[in-house]
Amino acid sequence: MTDGTEAAGTGGRRAAARLLLVLALLAGLGAGLGLGIGLRTDLTGFLPAGRSPAAAFLLDELRRGTATTLLLAGIEGAPEAELARLSRETAAGLRASGRFALVGDGTTTLSDSERDLLFRYRYLLSPETRPAAFTAEALRAKLQALLDGLRSAASPLLARFGFADPTGAFLGLAREFLADARPETRDGAWFARGAEPPRALLLARIAGAGGMDAAAQGAAIAAFRAAFAAAHPGPARLLLSGPGVFASEAAVAIRGDVELISLASGLLLAGFLWWRFRSLWLLGLVAVPLGAATIAGFAVAALASGGPPHGISFGFGMTMLGVAVDYPLLLLGLRRPGEALGATARRIWPVLRLAAASAALGLAAMLGSGLPGLVQLGLFAGSGLLVAAAVTRWGLPHLLPTGLRIEARPLPGWIAAGLAGLRGRPRLAAGAIGLAALLLAALGGPSWQRDIAALSPVPAAAQALDAELRRQIGAPDVRVLIALGPGTEEAVLRASERLEAALRPLLGPGGALDGLDLPSRWLPSAATQHARAASLPAPGAAEAALREAMRGLPFRAQAFDPFLAGLAESRDLPVLTAARLGAEAPVLAARLSPLLSGEGNAVRGIGLAQGVRDPAALARAVAGLGDPQILLVDIKAETEGLLAAYARATLLWALAGGGAVLLLLGLGLGGARPALRVAAPIGGALLVTLAALAVLGKGLTLFQLASLLLLAGLAIDYALFLARPGGQAAPDAAARDAPSSGAVLNCAVATLLTFGMLSFCETPVLRGIGVTVSVGVASAFLLALAMAPARMSGRADG
Amino acid sequence: MRRRALLLVGPALLVPRLLAGAAIAAEPAPPGLAALLRRFAAIPRSEARFSESKAIPELDLPLPSQGTLSWQAPDRLEKRTASPIEEVLRVAGDRLVYERPDRGIRQEFNLDDQPEMRALVEAIRGTLAGDLAALQRHYEIGFDTLPEEGWRMTLTPRSLRVRAAVQRILVSGRGPQVLQVETEGNGGVSRMQVTPGP
Repeated sequence: MTDGTEAAGTGGRRAAARLLLVLALLAGLGAGLGLGIGLRTDLTGFLPAGRSPAAAFLLDELRRGTATTLLLAGIEGAPEAELARLSRETAAGLRASGRFALVGDGTTTLSDSERDLLFRYRYLLSPETRPAAFTAEALRAKLQALLDGLRSAASPLLARFGFADPTGAFLGLAREFLADARPETRDGAWFARGAEPPRALLLARIAGAGGMDAAAQGAAIAAFRAAFAAAHPGPARLLLSGPGVFASEAAVAIRGDVELISLASGLLLAGFLWWRFRSLWLLGLVAVPLGAATIAGFAVAALASGGPPHGISFGFGMTMLGVAVDYPLLLLGLRRPGEALGATARRIWPVLRLAAASAALGLAAMLGSGLPGLVQLGLFAGSGLLVAAAVTRWGLPHLLPTGLRIEARPLPGWIAAGLAGLRGRPRLAAGAIGLAALLLAALGGPSWQRDIAALSPVPAAAQALDAELRRQIGAPDVRVLIALGPGTEEAVLRASERLEAALRPLLGPGGALDGLDLPSRWLPSAATQHARAASLPAPGAAEAALREAMRGLPFRAQAFDPFLAGLAESRDLPVLTAARLGAEAPVLAARLSPLLSGEGNAVRGIGLAQGVRDPAALARAVAGLGDPQILLVDIKAETEGLLAAYARATLLWALAGGGAVLLLLGLGLGGARPALRVAAPIGGALLVTLAALAVLGKGLTLFQLASLLLLAGLAIDYALFLARPGGQAAPDAAARDAPSSGAVLNCAVATLLTFGMLSFCETPVLRGIGVTVSVGVASAFLLALAMAPARMSGRADG
Repeated sequence: MRRRALLLVGPALLVPRLLAGAAIAAEPAPPGLAALLRRFAAIPRSEARFSESKAIPELDLPLPSQGTLSWQAPDRLEKRTASPIEEVLRVAGDRLVYERPDRGIRQEFNLDDQPEMRALVEAIRGTLAGDLAALQRHYEIGFDTLPEEGWRMTLTPRSLRVRAAVQRILVSGRGPQVLQVETEGNGGVSRMQVTPGP
């Protein structure tokens, strides 16, 4: 035990009280900030604002679009009949909850009034309405078909609708509106086609929660789970997915990860420090700059973003601030025998200052990325590091009672021998770096991660489940969007019809795409409705055509009176609008609402293309329209473009930051040679890390780029303190003898412990960062050690 | 022209997914019915020929058809129409299969989605199975006994929406044999004469 609390006597006790007071103050301040401001855990805070019109539309849609209100559910883990019962009862519960605009399951049905509305508007809504459909010849074919149908098993239904609608306009519409479900219906429930074990499917659209209104979505998801639980599921499981689930449950995952990291890395770090120092004083002292840095970083990030910082920025930023632990460790580790702590702080300040400034400068590259999450992260970590360095320099010396020494216990012999053996072997380091460079070149250099999924904080398993449910339910997998408008509702609907006409030749099994969902599919424009009404025959003409069509067929003379009355009524109907559909026909409105949103002159529409086989042909057809109201958004290309733009910006800034850091080192160390000597292990560590990532087959994401910046910041510490432990501008023999490698090893292990924890995160982003930094820190330490000037003796030190 | 008819049949079967089933109060069976149904329940399989005549008020003449019916306990019923068009309706449990061999058409439906079919199927199936509870679940039952072991069941669908399409089904027969099924709906009557034997 080197704890000197007793030895320090009353002065020590007073100092202990002071340290506890400072810690309590920091804890109180931190808790106040955390509770008062809080963290954002929705995903939108992480997304940038778009620069091109297509990107802006895409990001706006991701943020607020009605696509974000979709919930997809699967139920599995029970026999089929039981799954069907669960599905029916859950769906009934969802409908009763009133939180959902649409609940889709095997029992989707039109209400009587909705069916009546559809029936009354059959000729204005049906694309079959054109003059040619009402000639005697066309009608005769329809009447014969009706007769044929009446002989078949469907006769009760045809007897009910067929005489008022012999052309089948209503039945065709009803088929469009209800029966386009891709799953199989069994026992009144949807089942995934060919899934083994069986899986029942449900689809729901959250009412009113436009965009990522996390609270409304969370409540709707809770209602969904409650409805399922109320159906007594037994062993069956509910799988729930959709942007809403991502928004609220990814939030839980992120929070869980952040808590896990903070707790586990905190414990591990404390355990390690206890093992090395056996001093409560040390634990307390280390916590002071870390706490101050966290609070300062949080405050700066909150101020800069004008609200709560994002949870991911906070989680990652916290681990970045783990670097701040290095500063007190170096301060205590580099203290010479008999030296006052204040004197040590003064002595190492030039190097410490240089290290902190270089690391913060490196992090500043993130500010240039333009990605809100990364900007916050850069601010958080950069400002935190500077505060930590300042607190170490000016605060810590006052907190330790004079005369109390905290020393690390001697390293186990084999570690000390290993460190000593490694020190001063620049050729070994050069060999390792050369090998990494060769490996990297052989693997074709670092690869960029182009998939936006890798950037998403949503766990990979959840993303896979979402894709699977989407495919089974037949929900559009939005790869290609066509933006319509903005304009009035009528303008958007007309643009939708122009688009439909242009793309119709491309539809079908042999065409460029399988399907197209457009607002005009559910609601024709007023112009089209007027045109259809005008194309209906006048009463006299209709009657004459019908009489001729009926000749020789066994229908009674008055049989089709309801049809004639319907034709006459249709000619004078007021046109159907989205507002009226919303008020009178909820099921139909639910089909339209995801495709048409906004009010007044700012209505926007979306066309969804399904099963696109030939994107180029689709793009040509849309471009061929030359229509300013119709814009094709290729989501994959667009997101890849966005990511590439951000990566380019970040890379440029990183290069500029690297240059600035070199300049700073040159100024601080008084020459290009020492600056390059310090920079060599840093560059080497970056190379080794890139090579390791390439070997692991991991593409570089923006976040990994950011972690490389962090790594560079850490490596600066190691290189500076191993090369110039004394802190003087000019190296001297005494300084080289200072116990630096043990102190730096403590720092490296502390960092490894925190970042190693990140590798266990659920969140892909955090996990990727953990792997990158862990590999990097280990190689940075070893390289810096090997490149450091040789020592006179291999004395084990602390 | 025949194609058109098919286009109508598909959606027609899909459209009105009406509500089936309502709260059922347990009620005593009319005297004699339980005994008759027990005799039906003792016959696990049977075959019969039918000739049907659909009278639709909008048509001048009834639409005739004929074919065979076969029953296999506990729940399999098949109606095979031979003329004027070849058509097979097969029910097992809640699954309804519709086939039109001449056009290679085979469609599967759930009876829950087809209340009109449900009304008809349960009347015949419930009787042949001798399942009083199933009959009472779907219909209010009137029962008359006639001379020489004759009987007549008057089935009124309990669901309002089903009743909008099928108002009444009369099933009559002698002993444990169904001889006639009469369906009244939309002002029309469909009368099916059943002749036992293959």
